[in-house]
Amino acid sequence: MNRPFCSAWAGLAFVSLGALEAADTQPVPEPIRGMLARHCLDCHDASEKKGDVNLDHETVDWADPAQRDVWIRAFDAVERGLMPPPKKPQPSDSERGAALAYWEQALLKHVKIGGSAPRRLNQREYLSTVRSLFEWPGFVLPVGFPGDGESHGFDTVSDGLPISPAHFEAYRSVALEIADELFPPKKQGAQSQRWEAGPRDMVLSFSAASVWEDALRLVSKSATAFRSCTWPSRIEVKDSGVYRITVDASQFNTPAGRPFSVPMLLEVRARDLTASDRTNVNTFRLLKTIEVRSDAPEHTVFEAELYEGQTVLFRWANAEMNHDAPELADVYRRWFEEDKRFLAAWQKAIFPTGTLRPELTRLRGLNGWEVVRKHWENPGLDLSQATMEAEPTQKILELANSLSGTTSFADALCHFYHERGPAMEVHRLSLEGPLRPAESPRDSLRAKLRQHWVGERQAGESMEAAVNGILRRVLPRAFRRPVSAETIRDYQGLVERHLEAGHSFEEAMHLLVRNVLVSPRFLYHGVEEGSEHLLANRLAYFLTQSPPDERLSGLAAEGRLLKRGELQKEAVRLMPKSHHAAFVQSFVGQWLDTQRLATIMPDPRFKFEDDKIATARKETEMFFTEMLVRNLPMTDFIDPDFTFSTPEFLRAVYGIQAPTGGGSRPDKAMTRIPMERGGRFGGLLGQSAILMATANGVDTQPVIRGVWVLENILGTPPPPPPKNVPALTPDTRGSKSPRELLAAHTKDAACAVCHQRIDPLGLALENYDPVGHWREQWPGAGLAIDPGCVLPDGTVIRGPVDLKAWLVAHIDQFSQCVAEKLLTYGTGRPLNFAEKREVRDLVKRNHEAGNGFRDLLLALVESETFRTP
Amino acid sequence: MNPRNPFPHAPSIGRRQFLRGALAALALPPLETWSAASAPTGARNFVAVGTFLGWHQNAFFPKQTGAGYAMPETLSPLEPHRDAFTVFSGLDHRAANGHAAWSNYLSGVTPNSYSLDQRIADELGQNSRFPSIELTAGSGELPHPMSFTRRGVGLPMIQRPSVLYRRLFVSKSDMARTDYLLRSGRSGLDLLKDDAKRLQAAVSNRDKDRLEEYFESFRAVEKRMERQLNALHEPLPETEYQLPTYDPITPNLQIEAETILYHLMALALETESTRVLTLQLDGLGQVFSLDGRTLGAGYHGLSHHGNDPRMIRDLVTIETAHIHCFAGFLQALKEKKSVRGKTLLEETVVLLGTGTGDASRHSNANLPTLVAGGGFQHGRHIAIDPRQPDAPLLGDLYVTLMQRLGMEVDKFSNASRNLNQIFS
Repeated sequence: MNRPFCSAWAGLAFVSLGALEAADTQPVPEPIRGMLARHCLDCHDASEKKGDVNLDHETVDWADPAQRDVWIRAFDAVERGLMPPPKKPQPSDSERGAALAYWEQALLKHVKIGGSAPRRLNQREYLSTVRSLFEWPGFVLPVGFPGDGESHGFDTVSDGLPISPAHFEAYRSVALEIADELFPPKKQGAQSQRWEAGPRDMVLSFSAASVWEDALRLVSKSATAFRSCTWPSRIEVKDSGVYRITVDASQFNTPAGRPFSVPMLLEVRARDLTASDRTNVNTFRLLKTIEVRSDAPEHTVFEAELYEGQTVLFRWANAEMNHDAPELADVYRRWFEEDKRFLAAWQKAIFPTGTLRPELTRLRGLNGWEVVRKHWENPGLDLSQATMEAEPTQKILELANSLSGTTSFADALCHFYHERGPAMEVHRLSLEGPLRPAESPRDSLRAKLRQHWVGERQAGESMEAAVNGILRRVLPRAFRRPVSAETIRDYQGLVERHLEAGHSFEEAMHLLVRNVLVSPRFLYHGVEEGSEHLLANRLAYFLTQSPPDERLSGLAAEGRLLKRGELQKEAVRLMPKSHHAAFVQSFVGQWLDTQRLATIMPDPRFKFEDDKIATARKETEMFFTEMLVRNLPMTDFIDPDFTFSTPEFLRAVYGIQAPTGGGSRPDKAMTRIPMERGGRFGGLLGQSAILMATANGVDTQPVIRGVWVLENILGTPPPPPPKNVPALTPDTRGSKSPRELLAAHTKDAACAVCHQRIDPLGLALENYDPVGHWREQWPGAGLAIDPGCVLPDGTVIRGPVDLKAWLVAHIDQFSQCVAEKLLTYGTGRPLNFAEKREVRDLVKRNHEAGNGFRDLLLALVESETFRTP
Repeated sequence: MNPRNPFPHAPSIGRRQFLRGALAALALPPLETWSAASAPTGARNFVAVGTFLGWHQNAFFPKQTGAGYAMPETLSPLEPHRDAFTVFSGLDHRAANGHAAWSNYLSGVTPNSYSLDQRIADELGQNSRFPSIELTAGSGELPHPMSFTRRGVGLPMIQRPSVLYRRLFVSKSDMARTDYLLRSGRSGLDLLKDDAKRLQAAVSNRDKDRLEEYFESFRAVEKRMERQLNALHEPLPETEYQLPTYDPITPNLQIEAETILYHLMALALETESTRVLTLQLDGLGQVFSLDGRTLGAGYHGLSHHGNDPRMIRDLVTIETAHIHCFAGFLQALKEKKSVRGKTLLEETVVLLGTGTGDASRHSNANLPTLVAGGGFQHGRHIAIDPRQPDAPLLGDLYVTLMQRLGMEVDKFSNASRNLNQIFS
């Protein structure tokens, strides 16, 4: 542990030469041979070779990785008490101890800590590194940017991160895009232009607008642009600047419509022509609100800034009609109270069969209004239910308060207003400009980015000195480590040659940006010259997914990170403080597979919509963060006395009543909820996000959950299933219970080896459905779920509560698993035997010292495994 | 073994059984060797057109099977081209239902996976200026990608005709800038190479291997830049075609955008700028004015017609307008000749379809599908009965299309047969 860090580098050469190592063949000592013969060789000799393990050797070449792997497996099985099987006669403690000690020293002689290969930044790191380098938080990757492979469960492991030509191409094109933002190519001077648009040149979207002779009418003030607004189809400003905007608008009223006594307010906003039509209107910049008072067209002229790619958008801001709940129900209520026939016509249109089953598909748009109008004008219309208290009326108002009101029949009501008013009429729009240039937000951003890259040029400084200053400042930041004079000279040469060839300073900087961003020094981790900087990078990317900040780089430059305790201090400083932190999102999503949730579509029968999925994911992330921030004991991962959730979610998913908190939407607010220990819910294994991630949204598969628990909770993944065996997918709708189907696994000896470890863990979780609800019966068959089973060590459990108790009693195995995951994620390599031994000691010591999660993480940061390249 | 059979592992007996089972109801010409369609045919380009909201089945599928069917309403603009295309009913990928699975159209049973066009482009498109071009018209919100790379990345689509035009017919000033970027980029590569070599010398042996990957990618990109630079100085295609002064990208200008894009697509094939093109026709709330009439609801609303006859009428009006544009495209391909003296239509396999079987029910079964050109024997309506146990899949048709283009493939997604005999 105290070994100075630099000597670890010397060790690296040793590891990488491992393949060439000379043979180290040793006879297996007699007492060990005896123990093997008595307890192991019945199954694991050359002829039986159960589980593909043969332990019948007189000698072992400990320098051969393949031979070592067999003994590592034997070591793990014996140490965990899995072998010999619990039902078989067991070796004495001293026999067991002697064998383990012998194997351990033999293995440690050849397996050394360390060995992360250089690797490229993964997609998330690349994004945050660009953002940090340019101080450009709004930077996003282009669509189609190539992703990463996963290796050993994480996207930080070298094997999953090769560079392909497609990656290189993508890096090049992002580099060009960024260079273009900082140092844009010269644009031709803006030319003033004039556009005209009449009612027929405007967008008709849903029932927002309609065209009548020389006017276009607007009737709704919905906040969603495509339900209320219109904008010209063929006007798109090419140059940012001030434009003269002319609008002719009037009121439209008829005696049949409710008179409009105040001025109508016509909002003119700026929208990007390519913005989504679903956008909330209020996010479009307001240019002017015009007061329209008369039924004759009024002429308004004003000047306003429009930016490249924009056009204008119109909304009638104080319309009576509004698609959005709860106002929509109010609009209906007022008309229903005023006009019985109108009410009866809507009843007939929405419930055509006379029952209370709404039929809404025909009621969209003008077609829908024509259906309603036909009933309204029918002298024989049935008025018997036309009261506000009648059930159909209440049902309509209820529907109007839901999404189906907004999307399915509010558009029909719009046409009532289009015909009778009141409506806003727009007759003509003209646009002229740019009268003078204006700086768009994008222009300001560009100036800021440029300034950040170029810095301040000293008065009287030569170009050569200026470029040198930029390179000295920018390159170490881009490459995340000190840069040699030679490298500076190279880049200086590149820039100066470009200038000498007659290109401008901007063009030379453009070229510099394009080059820096495809350099291996920018793209790779682990090619650092100097171990302090490697360590600074490792810690920063581990805990923040970003490059080291100034303080951390400073400590590395001073060589202080190598001092004992310094790294831990920095880890405390960089430790995530909220569940939004990149580390939490990224590590939890990959360790517990909750990132899968984005791709799971739960069956509609579970009533598990997107907002519930988001709450489920947040529960797990906030829970993890709380464990870390408060340094809670490792056992709380399994059986805690709290969780995070919303009262609504607790009720609907866990069947738990919780007092609602404060705030404007107390039922949907995430809060820390105290709970009893030892219950069905709470802890990783009872959390909806995890039960969902280990199912497919439709049904549960005990094998998948079992493998998941072995891999991510116990850290002992089973080997992949043999290729020639078809997957056994229990059909939970059939008459056979999954338990009966799974029994097939244990009949065949080849399957049984792994499945007696896998299946009980999955079956123990069968009480949770594919989204985490508790259930007592298997769906379809109506068979009662029996989650009882026998764990591989012989423990009998009766369900998930017992499973949790068993895990709490064996918490070090869970801690070991989490610690290995953290280190794999942080170092980019799966842990070898020596590293796992180091972790084992740390876990044990941490357990003795209170077993806090945060303490464990900090111990890992100081470990030799983390600190060795 | 048939020496002409490029797929010696394919079980030909099984295939015959499949044909008997699936197509017994159809009057088909006698079977020839199944590989007939994969013989060199001169078909070299591939175009796929797909609507997001489907095609109303009753107005798309002919009432009669075989040749001489009465032209259904939606397809009426295609009457003059009757002998140049085949309509299919009863085909699909057995994919999940709903808008979210829409991209099953070119992806097969797994939406958002390696799409037909990209498979073709990866094999046929590598020597073209553009391996493939993806286009869209009528979208007013986030795009719905139709093409997916081998790794399942949805490809961005060009919506602006002006952008496509600039790519195809590079202007002088664009060319000068591209030339500058390529040349200056190459000078930078030399520096990078030196630096990377220094880096490689400083690290251990195993790490050297890791950096070797960088060099491999680097060399591939360098070669590509070389090619691009050379191509830049070859004579570029020119055209008389004049774009409007604005880009018709608001959703209600979809039909206008489509017309222009088809025109540019025909030019792209004529100038051999690419061999693979896709056009995605999106749709949301836009209310069209067609044939002098403003339709009764937005496009998406109409697709939820609930069998209301007036809504169906308006929906079919839109779809007929799409087919009208498509007919113009086929006409252009018929009129244009390639340097090999064939019409572009003979040299181009054109697929028109969708991933939505019935938008009103959000069903993705029985996908309306049409194949034109490619030198196939056309003119019929092929009705597949999907209830037959061995009924062919849409992917079987895709295998035939790929073989037609000279690709040695016998699988697509969940399909591992073909429909070659239909065109023989």
